[in-house]
Amino acid sequence: MTAYIIRRLFATLPVMAVVTVFVFFLLRLAPGDPAAIIAGDDATAADLEAVRAKLGLNLPIHEQFGLWIWRLAQGDLGVSIFSDLPVTRLIAQRVEPTLALTLSTLFVAVSLAIPVGVIAAWQARKLADRAVMVFAVLGFAIPGFLAAYILIWIFAVKLQLLPVQGYRPIGQGFWPFVEGLILPSIALGVTYMALIARITRASMLEVLSQDYIRTANSKGLATKRVLLLHALKNAAVPIVTVIGIGIALLISGVVITETVFNIPGLGRLTVDAVLKHDYPIVQGLIMVFAAAKVLVNLMIDISYAFLDPRIRY
Amino acid sequence: MSILSVRDLATHFHTRDGVTRAVDGVSFDLAAGETLGIVGESGCGKSVTALSIMRLIPPETARITPGSVVEFEGRELTRLSEEQMREIRGKSISMIFQEPMTSLNPVLTVGTQIAENVWRHTGIDKRQARERAKEMLDLVGIADSQRRLDEYPHQLSGGMRQRVMIAIALSCDPRVLIADEPTTALDVTIQAQILDLMLELKEKLGTAIIMITHDLGVVAETTQRVVVMYAGRKVEEAPVGELFARPLHPYTHGLMRAIPRLDIDAETAGRRPRLKEIPGMVPRLDKPIMGCAFAPRCDFATERCRVEAPPLEDHGKGHLAACWEVARVQTVAA
Ligand SMILES: Nc1ncnc2c1ncn2[C@@H]1O[C@H](COP(=O)(O)OP(=O)(O)O)[C@@H](O)[C@H]1O
Ligand code: SF4
Ligand SMILES: [Mg+2]
Repeated sequence: MTAYIIRRLFATLPVMAVVTVFVFFLLRLAPGDPAAIIAGDDATAADLEAVRAKLGLNLPIHEQFGLWIWRLAQGDLGVSIFSDLPVTRLIAQRVEPTLALTLSTLFVAVSLAIPVGVIAAWQARKLADRAVMVFAVLGFAIPGFLAAYILIWIFAVKLQLLPVQGYRPIGQGFWPFVEGLILPSIALGVTYMALIARITRASMLEVLSQDYIRTANSKGLATKRVLLLHALKNAAVPIVTVIGIGIALLISGVVITETVFNIPGLGRLTVDAVLKHDYPIVQGLIMVFAAAKVLVNLMIDISYAFLDPRIRY
Repeated sequence: MSILSVRDLATHFHTRDGVTRAVDGVSFDLAAGETLGIVGESGCGKSVTALSIMRLIPPETARITPGSVVEFEGRELTRLSEEQMREIRGKSISMIFQEPMTSLNPVLTVGTQIAENVWRHTGIDKRQARERAKEMLDLVGIADSQRRLDEYPHQLSGGMRQRVMIAIALSCDPRVLIADEPTTALDVTIQAQILDLMLELKEKLGTAIIMITHDLGVVAETTQRVVVMYAGRKVEEAPVGELFARPLHPYTHGLMRAIPRLDIDAETAGRRPRLKEIPGMVPRLDKPIMGCAFAPRCDFATERCRVEAPPLEDHGKGHLAACWEVARVQTVAA
């Protein structure tokens, strides 16, 4: 198992290398002169030169690349053009809200979707199953931001149970922190909930018709054990795969949700940096998002080996 | 003395295309410690009979029809709650299946799959259950049992998996073991080993066995009494010696002509010879059958056979048969 994990870990290196090269050339090969875009319309030649020097664009391309790699290896993502602060620090400041939102959304989606999907498969074609399927189709069809506005209107404006917008760091107390996350997590989570519930149902249905489930029942085991151990463990690989895809989509989706709910996370940082053409920040964010997705992928791969003893690479 | 008594068992599948009468009025008794064979071609309702006793038939489509009786140790199983039935499954009546490759759970260890049956039905804790699982592996002749406990089914051969299934089934000392074609999917040599193992354990533990098979060779080797099934019904029943000495039903004759003889078997070295199969096919059971179900394939069939179903009649020495032409069948056979 350890050898397998180490092999998987090494397998992520080529992907990260490609991302690194891509991010480097993104700025250099983008149409137009980045320095001109950054410096603005009425910049003088001297201004342009200053911007180029700051971005290192005046050096030969191979030296630029060498420098980029060298700094990256030291965990240095450069300096923001506008605020002069290190990109790593700017990103670090914004990680908590995004991480909190992603994890809480995932928690809401998975903790509801899996039981619901299991029950639907168990009660296949009965009332509970049909109710779940209607919900799944609706949940999948409603866009996240629409769900968000509906939830805000009901729970924050009409019932005044939860804050309308904003984010409270966990440092300011656990309950305010949770309160602020409830509505965004549900809004963002409905789609994934629907998706994960569906795949859980489908995967469970297939497993429940297998011979070994009949064997489990021939031992007189409790329904709970048959469903949650014998069946769910066999059904888990597709479910985990979809959860992984869900996390990847969530990471990209924070841009919209953070805007709607006014949460100062990486999504908002991305929007601001793109609008201001703050290239070093954009580069840094792409690296961070890519690394996060590679990491998720790695965890999914490793979980396969735990779930299914037949998987050995 | 009978511990399991099946009376007029009928199990029908209700699907969009109509009603399939998979089992249609079957009766038999199983005495304590006895081995009863149920034999018949594929599709005759043997598995559905077994699953009906266990009440493991698919609940959405299958119905055990009212009037069916399955009495086990004085309790009527068709009337028990699902919860009461679960107390019986795996403890008092257990079952092994045809496909050793798919009958074990691929993601749980062998040890877990044996031990869970033990701690489900006895008060003992998980450590003791694991001890018991190891004992069971030793009992079914799996070497290096301590290590095998932590292995997964894909690490075992087909024969070993069937041994594990037997270990699970016998782990709570059941009164009745239902074996549904336990050796059909195995090689000839492994088949013999598994049958020997079952007979040996039956002697040791005193378990009564219902041995379901399409192979009269297996019946001859392992059983004391035989029920022959055709198209969801019992067409003949007799003590095993009596059946082979004096088969009364044309279908049983047909099955006997299809038994591979050992000398030929050795020549073809492992390939299962298909000798003199009964011509024609088992009838579909999704429409009511007029007259004798075997008539389209029967050399003795008369006009009467095609319109009137023959009743099961007692021909002495515990020998029952459902055929109008028993007398003629016997003279031709002799
Ligand atoms: N799940 C099912 N749904 C519908 N029909 C079934 C089902 N299982 C078995 N049958 C029908 O019941 C009949 C008997 O099947 P089975 O008991 O499996 O035969 P055997 O075990 O003797 O080969 C067959 O005609 C088969 O088509
Ligand atoms: S009743 Fe008639 S058709 Fe049926 S087995 Fe006997 S002789 Fe053949
Ligand atoms: Mg069968």
